[in-house]
Amino acid sequence: MSYYTSKIDRRTALKWLSAAAATTLAAPKMVRAATYVKTPNGYGTDPDMLNPTAPWERIMTNRQLQVAAVMTDIILPEEPPHPSPSQIGVPDFINEWVSSPYEQTQKDKKIVLGGLDWIDAVSKSRFGAGYVETPAENQTKIMAEIAKAGNANYKFFDRFRTLTLGGYYTTPAGFKDIGYIGNVPLEHYPGPTDEMKAMLETRMKEIGI
Amino acid sequence: MKQSTPYDVVIVGSGAGGGMSAYILAKKGLKVLMLEAGRDYKPEEETPMFNTNDEAPLRGVSTPDKPFGYYDATVDGGWTVPGEPYTTAPGKEEFMWWRPRMLGGRTNHWGRISLRFGEYDFKPYSRDGLGVDWPMTYEELAPWYDKTEEIVGVTGGGEFHGANLENTPDSPPGILHETPNRRLHEIMLARGFESMGIPVAPMRAAIIQKPMNGRQACFYATSCGRGCSIKAMFQTTTVLIPPALETGNLDIITDAMVYTVDMGKGDKAEGVTYIDRKTGEHKHVKARAVVLAASAAESARILLNSKNGRHTDGLANSSGTVGKYLMDTVGASTGGHIPMLEGMPPRNDDGMSNAHIYVPWWGYGQQARGELPFPRGYHIEVGGGQRMPGMGVAGLAKYGSAPFGKGLREEMRRHYGTEVYLAGRGEMIPNDDCYAELDPEVKDRFGIPVLRFHWKWADHEINQASHMRQTFVELIDRLGGKVTWGGDTDGRDAIAKGGEIIHEVGCARMGDDPNTSVVNNWGQSWDVKNLFVFDGAVLPSNPDKNPTLTIMALAMRNATHLAEEARKGNI
Repeated sequence: MSYYTSKIDRRTALKWLSAAAATTLAAPKMVRAATYVKTPNGYGTDPDMLNPTAPWERIMTNRQLQVAAVMTDIILPEEPPHPSPSQIGVPDFINEWVSSPYEQTQKDKKIVLGGLDWIDAVSKSRFGAGYVETPAENQTKIMAEIAKAGNANYKFFDRFRTLTLGGYYTTPAGFKDIGYIGNVPLEHYPGPTDEMKAMLETRMKEIGI
Repeated sequence: MKQSTPYDVVIVGSGAGGGMSAYILAKKGLKVLMLEAGRDYKPEEETPMFNTNDEAPLRGVSTPDKPFGYYDATVDGGWTVPGEPYTTAPGKEEFMWWRPRMLGGRTNHWGRISLRFGEYDFKPYSRDGLGVDWPMTYEELAPWYDKTEEIVGVTGGGEFHGANLENTPDSPPGILHETPNRRLHEIMLARGFESMGIPVAPMRAAIIQKPMNGRQACFYATSCGRGCSIKAMFQTTTVLIPPALETGNLDIITDAMVYTVDMGKGDKAEGVTYIDRKTGEHKHVKARAVVLAASAAESARILLNSKNGRHTDGLANSSGTVGKYLMDTVGASTGGHIPMLEGMPPRNDDGMSNAHIYVPWWGYGQQARGELPFPRGYHIEVGGGQRMPGMGVAGLAKYGSAPFGKGLREEMRRHYGTEVYLAGRGEMIPNDDCYAELDPEVKDRFGIPVLRFHWKWADHEINQASHMRQTFVELIDRLGGKVTWGGDTDGRDAIAKGGEIIHEVGCARMGDDPNTSVVNNWGQSWDVKNLFVFDGAVLPSNPDKNPTLTIMALAMRNATHLAEEARKGNI
């Protein structure tokens, strides 16, 4: 069963390939002193700012991607007009993250991939179906268990949730949901409205400052 | 390179000091060559304006390749530069050294805070017997601050202008651009500080608020650390180098890693030698005068590597103080969660990237009365608000009661913009334990000896860092909030590593006495009369106020003097 179809199109996938080739063939399009890479297979110390690529290969299996997609949507279910994480490609971001060659993301690779395999297996043994196929109440049940601090798999839940929320709220769709209304050019910076200032004033008075 | 006529001046470096020197000298009609170790860089063409984090690899987080995040302007650098190491002396505290390899140097991503040093800051030894006095007064530098601010474009004007705070000089009327309106959390923080008897001032940042010299005014979007294609934020690559080039008097060679100053006949420098970083070729250029502005430590490295038969301890080093009295800024920070800000309506908190307020040091009276266990001051920088979310936004989930599913979105909205952070930036007093020297063994990929750093914070700084944290914890408590990180008030735990604030200065200090300083009050070497240092290396002390504005004011003053001397035929 396929819950999730990768949002990465063929063109982007080809771009990874060509970026990886450029790294190995050392054929930068700008004339630069050298293409330095502090981490092998990373994007280097002088990447193209305007056309960013994450040039490393993706390592998640399709099954892991499916389980991840189901999990992201349980963490942050669709709430119209706000899409679910899988609707805007967050599982692909998680794949990009755990596949990355950098040291700090390598730690997550172990936790997340191990966790995805574990949650799928535990669903099978307890409910007779994998995490993607088991009914929603079972999915939620396992999630609720590992979401408790102290659970043996809390670390997995915590890191996975961090990647889901971070991946989601850093997108324009996420901005709309959380209320980020910046990143627009303004002629004059207005600051907060009088109404907001009055609200703040009331709250400051309440605590005596 | 065949060079028929020598340049009047060769400048090593294109950052704050080098950029300003080139601007002044080229405008004064001198033939100038600028050598930059990194590649050419054009903010107009390369800056990722408006790009969101989801367009960047890993949502733009820091990696070893881009330690301040994907969009940070720094090219080929950061805490390490591939093939160009530095070392920490065994058994010493770690020192961190941020270097880019690009035209414009660190001005392309700098913090932009532009505070004038105050009158006390020029005579610290006279006030408390620690460190050394400067060979000049505030009054002498003040007109150069005026001129520098006019070119750079600095905020600080407007409603709160002219606070008349002790040792916190204002600018004359008409120079400063108006600081934008305070953000919601800044209004709250200001009230909190004022309830502690601590005055708050408008931010002075190098971000223009009205168009000038072909630069657009800030449009309050896109973080300045990426660089600024509309030129609102000061970078030498948009503000100083282009007009210098327009004079026709400036040539620039990039990827030119200078490693020695070469001596000619007598006691005069003849030029410099650099390595072409693309080809590995060593090239020599001649000039009537040499200006080092490669950054405090790199300028010292060049002097130390310029040792020869007559100057066995390095060039311009008869005092033995090249590399000595290295300083950084004392840093400590704390984060808090302020429930008062929960559920406030969405607002555009982007503003001018920097905070719109800051807190100048308020404790001069207490120090004079001996009530504080540290002799020098610090200022406070603040942050917070509903800024463009990065991966850190996920942390907001911990404030809510819904770990996942229904309700989590609402918790995220409610807590977005409730986090604040506070950072202290304090004066470090120069000491004998903090210096740079040539590593006896390690060389860079070109075979040039690298710097080895020695570092040790003194109690002056450690106690100050502790006080910073105490202040922050008290403020967060007064605001009804909870400290979320950085609550340990032990100064040792609180204090940032040497170099970590990226305000390293000293290593070729100026003074009145050739026995204890490397250059005179014009940045001119005591030993080699046509050799000048026009960067942060010359600072004899490092007040809490961020150094770049002062580096530029000094470079402008000293380059003007150099041009005058050249005109008189004295170079």
